[in-house]
Amino acid sequence: MTADDPRLVRLLEHPAIWRGAGAAQRSGLSTGFVALDEQLPGGGWPRSGLIEILVARFGSGELSLLMPALAALTRAAVPRWCVWVDPPLMPFAPALASQGIVLERVAVVSGAHPLWTFEQALGSGACDAALAWARRPQPRELRRLQLAAERGHTLGVLFRPRRALRQPSAAVLRLGLEPAGDGVRVTLLKGRSTRRGAIDLPWPGS
Amino acid sequence: MRLPLKPVDRPTSLPADTTATTPEHGPAPAPKHGSTLRRLLHSTASVPASSPAPLWAGIHLSVCESAEKLEQLASRALRFTPRVSLVAPDGLLLEVKGSLQLFAGLATLRNELLGEFVALHREAVVAFAPTPLAALAAARAGRSLEITDPAQLTGQLASLPLTALRWPQETLARLACVGARTIGAVLRLPRAGFARRLGSEPLAMLDALTGRAPQALETFRPRACFRRRRDLDCELSHQALLRAALEPLFVDLDRFLKARQCGVIELECRFRHRHAPPTLCALPLAEPAADTARLAALLGERLDALRLPEPVRACELYAAALLPYRPPRRCLWQPGEHGGEAGTEGSDLIERLRARLGPRAVHGLSVRAEHRPEAGWTLTGPPPAVAPRGVASRKCAVPGITAGEDTRHDSPPHRPLWILPVPEALAEREGLPRRRGELRLTSEPERIESGWWDGAQIARDYYTAIDIHGVRLWVFREREAPHGWFLHGVFG
Repeated sequence: MTADDPRLVRLLEHPAIWRGAGAAQRSGLSTGFVALDEQLPGGGWPRSGLIEILVARFGSGELSLLMPALAALTRAAVPRWCVWVDPPLMPFAPALASQGIVLERVAVVSGAHPLWTFEQALGSGACDAALAWARRPQPRELRRLQLAAERGHTLGVLFRPRRALRQPSAAVLRLGLEPAGDGVRVTLLKGRSTRRGAIDLPWPGS
Repeated sequence: MRLPLKPVDRPTSLPADTTATTPEHGPAPAPKHGSTLRRLLHSTASVPASSPAPLWAGIHLSVCESAEKLEQLASRALRFTPRVSLVAPDGLLLEVKGSLQLFAGLATLRNELLGEFVALHREAVVAFAPTPLAALAAARAGRSLEITDPAQLTGQLASLPLTALRWPQETLARLACVGARTIGAVLRLPRAGFARRLGSEPLAMLDALTGRAPQALETFRPRACFRRRRDLDCELSHQALLRAALEPLFVDLDRFLKARQCGVIELECRFRHRHAPPTLCALPLAEPAADTARLAALLGERLDALRLPEPVRACELYAAALLPYRPPRRCLWQPGEHGGEAGTEGSDLIERLRARLGPRAVHGLSVRAEHRPEAGWTLTGPPPAVAPRGVASRKCAVPGITAGEDTRHDSPPHRPLWILPVPEALAEREGLPRRRGELRLTSEPERIESGWWDGAQIARDYYTAIDIHGVRLWVFREREAPHGWFLHGVFG
């Protein structure tokens, strides 16, 4: 078994294995955007934990930003679910499929208790990723969500309006996002790294 | 490695309707039951040679029971063996050869059996013998015999009084006249004379007693659905108290499922009120479940969401759909660990969500080969908990969305990630659409014209538009008058 063996690589991705600073740099899940990977702690999205994406308006490009990572998760060797909790509109299946997402791994949950559902999905251990569009979560609830995401080894993504910027949050990563020309401008608001600032990401193909 | 599916695995291979004792040197079966009996004989012969003789436990109760009570006792006795027969009004017969290993011997099995009856406030005598009638006769005589060797059967039975066979009083009196008061004395009488004087029926019974002839017994079939009702001492309306009130019913359900080695696929709970019609609370499950603690927790979730019109006077638990239960496979890896499969967490999550949010809360998505955007996708049932192998490598069969190198000049059409269930009409000024400000069209029109054959024809020109805040939208203009503008998707 050499160091390139995919099985070994997969084993070493275990969050409980600490391999020094150099290796830990690459422990994240690639976002699919090189410029963003360089900016994020761990070289990509965290594999477990809650992240927040603050947008000025619904549809600013927040979902497109996540698409490459979600596609990679649903195409992993042993994929778990990708749960969408109470999305504001219906995700368009042909578009998801054309972005490379395996639809068999996508579950859409609608119902009266989105935060409860989100916590169940995060903590169950049955999901690789869970997305939620919360209205007004309290800091205490965010803390619960963060703990549940760590427990279930799930990437939790919470989309919130821009005005939530002033509220404290237990999320491991907070990004601000706004449309900019033929792409988006991503601002790193909170994260386990010293880098801050905004980067412009053009959409592929535009 | 194959582990036995059930603790009382082996005897289930025997026919369920009737069973027969081993006819070692008995007469040939009567021709009219020939086929049935031969089948039975064949199946008893399939028991391994190391344990040729069955072992019956005869149970005699000190009080006569109603048929219903006796059935209840029999269903409790199913814990020990799947072959239980009723002997009305006060006896039970259990074939326990296959259960000896599980209960670590005859002594422990006897203690467990007695313990079960003590728990049910019944007094019982238990005797073991190779033939059902012998076991029952010993128990009726109040003798806790343990006859495991068929060779000793006649000798051990000799001292039992004849009354244990429950023959008619007249027969007993005639036998008493010749000085035969015990089973041993009757067995010593000449067969031909015995049959001539007393008829063939007592002789057949004696043959069954000693194992010379097989005895057909009807195996007790437990009821296939579970229904228990509990009347409450006082009216309850608080969910937590109701949950506690349901607990004894779940204990019953646990016993019921264990005895049948079954799991439920749908559980129903009915709450009865003083005036209002009963409130129904159904709990459909993703797969057969036998863990009543989990079922109780799921029903608890359902209760929290339930609105009761009035306080509850009685609750009723009902499980009709029983399915054979297979215990889950355990995985070495913890859930969510890399390399570990999702296991049962997926179906657990679905059930928890459905219990709380309703049966239609969880959906999957799938694509249809259809050019009309609103018909190009459907909602499906929840996705499978474990992905089928090779799902990731399968190419998606979507029109225009084929993976590969030769698609460069046939690139997938640009589609929004969000779709509006019904297109939203947009305002228009100088031929251009508006939505909280002016919309800027940034793409060439894409014409979608389809569906003339099913009455839902569309003829539209789709554009990508950007609103004043920079949000990219998918809008279309109808090709037919009045050429209205509509919003159909958000690129997100």
